[in-house]
Amino acid sequence: MTAFSVLLLKEEKALFSSPIAYAVMTVFLLLMSYSFTLTLFLSHQPSLVHIFFQMFVLFMLTVPLITMRLLAEERKLRTIEVLLTSPVTELDIVLAKFVASMSLIVILLMLSGSYAIVLAIYGDPDWGPIYSGYLGLLLLGAALVGVGLLASALTANQMIAALVSLSLFLLLWIIDSFGYLLPSPFDALAVNLSLSVHFKPFAVGSVYLSDVGFFLSVTLLTLFLSVRALARR
Amino acid sequence: MSPVVRVRQLTKWYGPRRAVADVSFAVEPGEIIGLLGPNGSGKSTIFRILTGYLAPSSGTVEVAGFDVVRDAFAVRREVGYVLEDAPLYEHMRVVEFLRFMAQIKGLRGRAIGRAVDAAAARLDLDRVMNLTAGKLSRGFRQRVSIAQALLTEPKVLILDEPTSGLDPHQVIAVRDLIRSLAGHQSVLLASHVLSEIEKIASRVMILLDGTLLTADARATTSTDVRLRARISGSESEVRTSLAAISGVREVSVEQVAAAERHYLIGAEPGDRVRGEITRTLVAKGLELTELVEVRADLEQRFLDLTRRRSGKAAA
Repeated sequence: MTAFSVLLLKEEKALFSSPIAYAVMTVFLLLMSYSFTLTLFLSHQPSLVHIFFQMFVLFMLTVPLITMRLLAEERKLRTIEVLLTSPVTELDIVLAKFVASMSLIVILLMLSGSYAIVLAIYGDPDWGPIYSGYLGLLLLGAALVGVGLLASALTANQMIAALVSLSLFLLLWIIDSFGYLLPSPFDALAVNLSLSVHFKPFAVGSVYLSDVGFFLSVTLLTLFLSVRALARR
Repeated sequence: MSPVVRVRQLTKWYGPRRAVADVSFAVEPGEIIGLLGPNGSGKSTIFRILTGYLAPSSGTVEVAGFDVVRDAFAVRREVGYVLEDAPLYEHMRVVEFLRFMAQIKGLRGRAIGRAVDAAAARLDLDRVMNLTAGKLSRGFRQRVSIAQALLTEPKVLILDEPTSGLDPHQVIAVRDLIRSLAGHQSVLLASHVLSEIEKIASRVMILLDGTLLTADARATTSTDVRLRARISGSESEVRTSLAAISGVREVSVEQVAAAERHYLIGAEPGDRVRGEITRTLVAKGLELTELVEVRADLEQRFLDLTRRRSGKAAA
């Protein structure tokens, strides 16, 4: 086993032995199931577009809960010093925490896959938008976890980490609304930073390389900055 | 045999504050070194640099022949580190934590179980192996922390305040354990408790405000000696008489008995001052019943060195 896999196993155990993961899954499923049933009965359309937008919002609200403890807790308990005086790198630590958090995101997406199965049994859904929607949610989840991880790397206080990441998510969600009010070229910059602008095409079945690139760039940048934050001591 | 730790002109700045200033020392294999100094004197910073957690601002540090900056990974494999306050993962059971630490330190397969069992037996952890760290007493937390540091039998063991917060029985147990390591591993031990260091360490280094005052406090010769004198007579007369003698630096009363007082006299070394004290007191009609030199203990040396340092700073 490499240092990364040992750390990943530890993170998975920590995540799934805490009540947060199960609380997130329960709330997520309750809300999504209610929403899915209601939408299906009202619209009679075999589509998950509405569900994808609601998952987009739910991800922004729940990811801070998943990521807030990742590095802030290690800093507070000083276990980060135990790790970093052992032969492991900052990259191993950050990647293990990222992948462990992503595993919960993947589980949430898989659980929501039951809605697609219901549609397939009772209707004839267009699979293109469903595939692209899930791809978009996965990329969005990665970017949000990256931002949350970075917020957690910058403080020893979990609440501050959660508040910072939640504020950032909300800002990046609605930034395009303000962006149109700004003078050029700031309007384009603000609009292009918007999470919803980059997510919408995925939800309706269009996959643009620029949107994929945006989410991947945010993810890689935040992971890089988290490693730097951990190395700066 | 070459030193297992070699520190040359180590300096560490935290922003504008200098935490460690031009420190140099070496540790031979098997030595137990006590690093003594008040809180904030730079002990933990030196340890963090030795373990590769912090990079030095200037100077070089080698552990087991590896540079802590260039070969930080190799250094971490050779060092076992017990942090102050023994941070542990609260949700992990002791056995899980030790196995996890063994794995990230590079042990694989059956070696993990062997190392964990050996460390648990050495620290008497058998009855707490299945408890989570959050349920452990302070003493057991400390022992678990020491156990993880011993898992790979590192060449250098670094312990930051290992007995702080422990009860006397636990202190003795930890002390015996550290003594048992002498000869096998080099041990660097930090404490601000003089008596603790004195009982364990084979050599004591004193640190103040980031500066190493001495790399061997026991070998450091104090310029002054302390004399204990039992004298009958008026205290003011004794003080006046002693103050008139050249070479007597200070006089204090250590103990007051019915007919006499015990004085502690700080004086320059040599027989001349002692003879002068005897002659002067007798000439004044004061009764001197005892005059002996008090061997300077570590506490006295620590006070001498820190006072001298403060005096230099004031000058």
